[in-house]
Amino acid sequence: MSNLKWLKVLILFIIVFALQMTVADWLSFFDVGPDFVIIFIVAIAIKMGPAAGCFWGFVAGFTQDVYAPVEWLGAHSISMTVLGFAVGQLEERFLTLNLPAKVGVLGLGFFVCDMIYFLVTGLGKDVVTNLFLTKTLPECLYTMLIGGIFFYLDLGKKKKKHA
Amino acid sequence: MFRAFRFIVDLFSQRHGIVAFVFFLVLGLLMRQAPVPIRESIVTTAISTLYFPAQRIVSAVGHYKSIALENEQLKEENARLRQETYHAREGLQELARLHTLVRFDDKWDYPIVTSRVVGHNPGRFLTTMVINRGTEHGVHENMPVFSMNGLVGKVSKATLNHSRVQLLVDPNLKLSVMDRKTRVVGFLESMDGVRLTAMVPTHAGIRAGDTLITSGLGGIFPKGIPVGTVKDIRKSDLDVMRQMDVEPFQDFTTLEEVFVMEKEPDWIVKELLDE
Repeated sequence: MSNLKWLKVLILFIIVFALQMTVADWLSFFDVGPDFVIIFIVAIAIKMGPAAGCFWGFVAGFTQDVYAPVEWLGAHSISMTVLGFAVGQLEERFLTLNLPAKVGVLGLGFFVCDMIYFLVTGLGKDVVTNLFLTKTLPECLYTMLIGGIFFYLDLGKKKKKHA
Repeated sequence: MFRAFRFIVDLFSQRHGIVAFVFFLVLGLLMRQAPVPIRESIVTTAISTLYFPAQRIVSAVGHYKSIALENEQLKEENARLRQETYHAREGLQELARLHTLVRFDDKWDYPIVTSRVVGHNPGRFLTTMVINRGTEHGVHENMPVFSMNGLVGKVSKATLNHSRVQLLVDPNLKLSVMDRKTRVVGFLESMDGVRLTAMVPTHAGIRAGDTLITSGLGGIFPKGIPVGTVKDIRKSDLDVMRQMDVEPFQDFTTLEEVFVMEKEPDWIVKELLDE
């Protein structure tokens, strides 16, 4: 992979975080908004493989950790590293992902990522159940919708390139 | 440097990224297991080095947003202050009018009731207006009504809280006036509900521009209230009298507040009115 491509991903990473801090708030309903960071990690893992997936997953997770309570440092890093790696493995080993599969992987990844995060932070069962119902599930669906639009546009761009 | 970077990337990419995964996972777990002071040190170092540029950008955006917000607040405050300034100016004007009134009031020993104009007759010609003071405030029928500019009319009907004022241009109102310079007495009336006309003896020598004041002879208006200026003099049907148009000092269409002089009609007029 060329250095230029890494630079492009770095810029994309910054843009994604900027979107997460601004647009995600504007798009949120009843405190439920899309997670652009997870879309980014899944997209990178699908495109660039598990190594890049877990690297960018770690970077994104660490960035979120830095601004989270210090007691939970590492929780995002671990969960997103796992996410990036797992999605990259899926793409590389088992599947040639089409649009519905990508959206499905995104949803599953979101769910797994949150579960690992809850596990790592050691939150209580009741709290996790509540968070799962009020945050994870609706935000997962919302992120799948936004991610689906993104993957659809990305596919359209690819088709044009091939043509 | 790029070679080293490439080497690391190649190393991490081996075995389908398992090396990288294990490395980052261990790194994450180490951070999780680290004591709180070390975690704090990691966070502080990261924020002050890696994320410092982003911090600057975010704070700049935040600053810009706060400026925009402050701008909105200042605009609102500006609008509110403008309103307050406007009200303050109004208040000052009112104060000036009241000061004039105090000086005006010195001339006569009658108490003054200040009132606001709250309505006028709905017809095409403005001959009557309604004020927000009545018998409860000491206002009674036939009391003179004036503004700081001059005479306005008299109270024609007083109720508890409101009174009707008959303006000088009402054809039913006639009053005795005097030329300030020559001291000649005549009478003033309006024939058409618009213009004021004064009838003065021919020999009086009154000229256009002269000021007419109340003569105090009618028994209702005290002597000396300014009424208007003579505009145009012409011959009347009677050889002994001159007819002249009078421009009142007070424009009745712009009246906002008037003053009622608590002066009862003279006893003779009262008797005549009672009859």
